[in-house]
Amino acid sequence: MGDLFSNLALGFSVALSLNNLLLCFAGCMIGTLIGVLPGVGPIATIAMLLPLTFKVDPTGALIMLAGIYYGAQYGGSTTAILVNIPGEATSVVTTIDGHEMAKRGRAGAALGISALGSFFAGCFATVLVAALGAPLTKVALFFGPAEYFSLMVMGLVFATVLARGSIIKAVGMIFVGLLLSTVGQDLETGTERLTFGWSELSDGVDFAVLAMGVFGFAEVIRNLENPEARDVVKGSIGSLLPNREEMNRSYLPVLRGTLIGSILGILPGNGALLGPFASYTIEKKMAKDPSRFGKGAIEGVAGPESANNAGAQTSFIPLLTLGIPPNAVMALMVGAMTIQGIVPGPQVMTKSPNLFWGMVASMWIGNLMLLVINLPLVGMWVKLLKVPYRLMYPAILIFCCIGMYSINNNPIDVMLTAFFGLAGYLLVKMGFEPAPLLLGFVLGKLMEENLRRAMIIARGDLSTFVERPLSAALLAIAVLLVSIAVIPSINKKRDVVFTE
Amino acid sequence: MEENSQGAGFVKAPQDLAAGLFLIALALFAFWLGSNLNPGTLRSMGPGMLPRIVSALVGITGVVLTVNAFLLNGSALDRIAFRGPLFVTIAIIVFGLTIRGFQIPLPGGGSLTAPALGILGAGPLAIMVSGFASPETKWGELFIFAIGMTVLCTAMFKLALNLPIPLSPIIFGY
Repeated sequence: MGDLFSNLALGFSVALSLNNLLLCFAGCMIGTLIGVLPGVGPIATIAMLLPLTFKVDPTGALIMLAGIYYGAQYGGSTTAILVNIPGEATSVVTTIDGHEMAKRGRAGAALGISALGSFFAGCFATVLVAALGAPLTKVALFFGPAEYFSLMVMGLVFATVLARGSIIKAVGMIFVGLLLSTVGQDLETGTERLTFGWSELSDGVDFAVLAMGVFGFAEVIRNLENPEARDVVKGSIGSLLPNREEMNRSYLPVLRGTLIGSILGILPGNGALLGPFASYTIEKKMAKDPSRFGKGAIEGVAGPESANNAGAQTSFIPLLTLGIPPNAVMALMVGAMTIQGIVPGPQVMTKSPNLFWGMVASMWIGNLMLLVINLPLVGMWVKLLKVPYRLMYPAILIFCCIGMYSINNNPIDVMLTAFFGLAGYLLVKMGFEPAPLLLGFVLGKLMEENLRRAMIIARGDLSTFVERPLSAALLAIAVLLVSIAVIPSINKKRDVVFTE
Repeated sequence: MEENSQGAGFVKAPQDLAAGLFLIALALFAFWLGSNLNPGTLRSMGPGMLPRIVSALVGITGVVLTVNAFLLNGSALDRIAFRGPLFVTIAIIVFGLTIRGFQIPLPGGGSLTAPALGILGAGPLAIMVSGFASPETKWGELFIFAIGMTVLCTAMFKLALNLPIPLSPIIFGY
């Protein structure tokens, strides 16, 4: 326990430096700004803003990125409540009751409770990350290449099972991601692989190019298809503070949502995504009068929003301790860390405690900032929501172009991104989700490295993966999950969770 | 292409069929690209091992999807827009070509040179081209917006963040 506090103290001393405070603030502001835009979720926001962080030192960059993430998530909720457009999957639930509240003139209360609930959840999750970080890192020290490989297999299995839509398509996307990761020079021999002999590809497909294309540009193209039908709440937002009755209804859902979200967030795969859905279902089941749900029940905002934020934060745990990104957002973080020259994994905590604990502490500061800067600024966000998409998309495009260009000062990057944007659009049209692709891409190189090492150690004997107990256990969990997922009855339930 | 009708008849899930065939094609292509790489042995893997295994996995997934498309009901093909994707892509490429100039090699020797317009030229140009992507574009409004955005981006990226973006090499030389 004493360790925890001294570590957190170190973290706060890093995060509270003027420079890092400014970066955290900038991240939260810009993240909210972009995240508020309808149809632009956290993944797209981070992908677009990634280039902004490259010129900053690693600690500052990660603090800023984390700020962008919470900001985007928060902005997404604002859009969900005021415009009835979920910026991303996790705020789908918020639109149900949040927008109903807004229509009844309680938009302010919905925004307020979502901010307060998120803040509470953020505080809890920050402590959880700090508390679980050290022990999990110790576990990771027992991991050899075989265990890492199995862990990543398990993570990818989670990602497919918990992904939305067709499992087989998610599997396909992961494999395509793995395939893309093999492009470029071979790690050991330096042989060019799948590059068409094109020197631009000899370093492999650039992470930012892929992410910005598949999530940024593809998203813009997709949004252009839908004719603009925005249901921005007219009239006043009302008081931002929920009244006493609303507070009384909300505090238990906030507590439950925080707990559910925190636990599900740690799961690899899209655990954080399940939190809000689970929370909403539970609140509806526990309510004395479930018929209020869907008609503006504040519990239906308070619970899922807390779960959402808690999960967003605890999903950093697998990334920071094991170096395994549990979802697409964390995959973007891995990309950012790698570009900064940091190899994610258990060694981060011991080798650069400043970075690790500084980032953890900045999570709490970021949440506080969101509360302080966003509530008074709601009016501004509402104005921003009224900017028509016909002006918004050229602005997004030009930001992305400048960002892409300035990463390497290479115009070819910009053009490659256009290609991946088009490819991403076509993938969506074929019913593929791009998130597993990014996950596969990020894990691909690590998996290959560990697989090859494991095979060298075991002299080419594949049974090493089941003979080593830790590795066997991880693979067993993966197999168990797959068998659960393919049993049709559970599969059906899973669809229900997502359509409800 | 019909919209939202469940595939009736022979192909029960047209979208899955397209997805499956795409994966198979991608797998074959990657397999062909990697066919000259040495796979090595499990004991000491060569550069060709992983590309080969992963292409096979992609292909198998594709086959499963394709077979499923004939057995299980699924979504019809989505309508694929033409205007949006085309002009967004062109706008980005125009930006890439003109931000600091670009030489496009022509098949018959020689090359085509795009001028180095820098942020002051490539910015508004890309914005105006992207205007073709939406039927809702109002050109006068977009023109003013393009100028405003360019000023804002120059101030933010060039002056505040100090990114090495060329201002306008064709006019100023930097």
